[in-house]
Amino acid sequence: MSDHVLSTAAPDYNEEVVRKFIIAGMFWGVIAFALGTYLALELTWPAFNLGFSFTNFGRLRPVHTSAAIFAFGGSILFGTALHVVQRTCRARLWGGPALANFIFWGYQFFIVMAALSYVMGFSKGREYAEPEWHIDLWLTLVWVLMTVVYVGTLLRRAEPHIYVANWFYLAFLITVAMLHIVNNLTLPVSFFGAKSYSLFSGVQDAMVQWWYGHNAVGFFLTAGFLGMMYYFIPKAAGRPVYSYRLSIVHFWALIFLYIWAGPHHLHYTALPDWTQTLGMAFSIMLWMPSWGGMINGLMTLSGAWDKLRTDPGLRFSVTAVGFYGMATFEGPVMSVREVNSLSHYTDWGIGHVHSGALGWVAFISFGAMYYLIPVLWKRERMWSVKLISWHYWVATLGIVFYISSMWVAGIMQGLMWRAYDSFGFLQYSFIESVVAVHPYYIIRMVGGLCFLAGSGMMAFNMFMTIRGPQPAHQNTGRGFGQRLAVAGE
Amino acid sequence: MDDDIADAIVGWCMVPLCLLGLLIAARAHDQEMYLFGFSLAGFTALFGFGLIKRHYDQKDQARARVKAGGHV
Repeated sequence: MSDHVLSTAAPDYNEEVVRKFIIAGMFWGVIAFALGTYLALELTWPAFNLGFSFTNFGRLRPVHTSAAIFAFGGSILFGTALHVVQRTCRARLWGGPALANFIFWGYQFFIVMAALSYVMGFSKGREYAEPEWHIDLWLTLVWVLMTVVYVGTLLRRAEPHIYVANWFYLAFLITVAMLHIVNNLTLPVSFFGAKSYSLFSGVQDAMVQWWYGHNAVGFFLTAGFLGMMYYFIPKAAGRPVYSYRLSIVHFWALIFLYIWAGPHHLHYTALPDWTQTLGMAFSIMLWMPSWGGMINGLMTLSGAWDKLRTDPGLRFSVTAVGFYGMATFEGPVMSVREVNSLSHYTDWGIGHVHSGALGWVAFISFGAMYYLIPVLWKRERMWSVKLISWHYWVATLGIVFYISSMWVAGIMQGLMWRAYDSFGFLQYSFIESVVAVHPYYIIRMVGGLCFLAGSGMMAFNMFMTIRGPQPAHQNTGRGFGQRLAVAGE
Repeated sequence: MDDDIADAIVGWCMVPLCLLGLLIAARAHDQEMYLFGFSLAGFTALFGFGLIKRHYDQKDQARARVKAGGHV
């Protein structure tokens, strides 16, 4: 009997590093959304560039994208990955607390250094890979250590099975490491100078950049967050994954197909036609695994749909899966060469990216955080459930404002740029298209403000939850009792 | 791997990183490398001191538990 008790007792999980990543994720989320809103203001009224080099759009834009993707998304991904791997493997993190701590602080150091270098005017000019070589090397060190800790924990697991969420997190860690290293192969001018030049040139350079760029979407912003979906939706709903078999098919199909889709970013360029067509074809094939995953996520709610009325945190997760389905439908449509001829270089692309970034990435993160915060800080629930509900509706309204205005603006731009008059001349000058989209830029900014306000509510709710008193009886967070054994536990 | 050994390895790794930061700052060709070098040195030094503090905090806690009548 005592042996049985020993073998089933939970290990001494390292929750401190998870708590730190969740707090950092919240902090960077507010910064990223605030910067995004300010940039929307700059685009609407350029006077807000203020005339300083460090506040102009060109320097602040990568600060916003890096804050959203790496700082907010990355912190939440690392935090949840380290939580999920320990819980589903019933094993403490490999490598000890100092290594986990180094991964946390090392990653925050990367974020701060990258942001400072952008505002100082240093950039490689590669989208989503702007940091210069020395910062790239630092990120490589932290990333590899994170992967080693993750794999080490998997190897010391007490459970025979590796739960599917871990497969997605592992794909995220390994593939992003590979993408980051190859895309950032550069030759520094000097060991003591920041400037470097890419090892590739011409169209090969563009191809490597978009192989990285699109797979940053595929493996950072999709695979990692799918790992989150496969753990936190079953946990919050108290239901097992609808089809475990489908989740495995989803994983392998997604991993195989995504890596080939990058060339669709280079339609009508010097890239060979067959390569463009290959990228387009693989993008269309991606409909299948994407929608398979979406259906699996949504159907996990079977028999528990009523919880959406009472659990606004779960509402975030389910809406996120809906946005995932919508964004992964729109992406392949935009990858078709003829559609791309209209959509490329317009604000349609910005709308598409934000339906994925705000609707999928941020919402699935919010859902996971609302589940995880009471569990990590041993609270009954969040400080205010009503405030979560307010956050949900304000943020949803913000996304609707944002993406609908960008769709209209983008399609209008595309149509204006290709319009000819009866003499064969362009019907509109470029500035006319800029003036035409101005009202939609204001609507986009209002959408951003709504989303920012929602994140402020969440930060306040999180602060009050953590600051609030612990219940007299410990371990009452939702993760500890009252539920079926789901999500690999 | 024993946590104490792992923590010590991480701590000792901060020393060459800190020296590297100082070297980069000393020989920097531009503002960016100057800032990065000093920041790296500062970050690794602080991280190392943090590890030492955490180590002695744990020792103190263990001693306090013994004094309170518990066992380590």
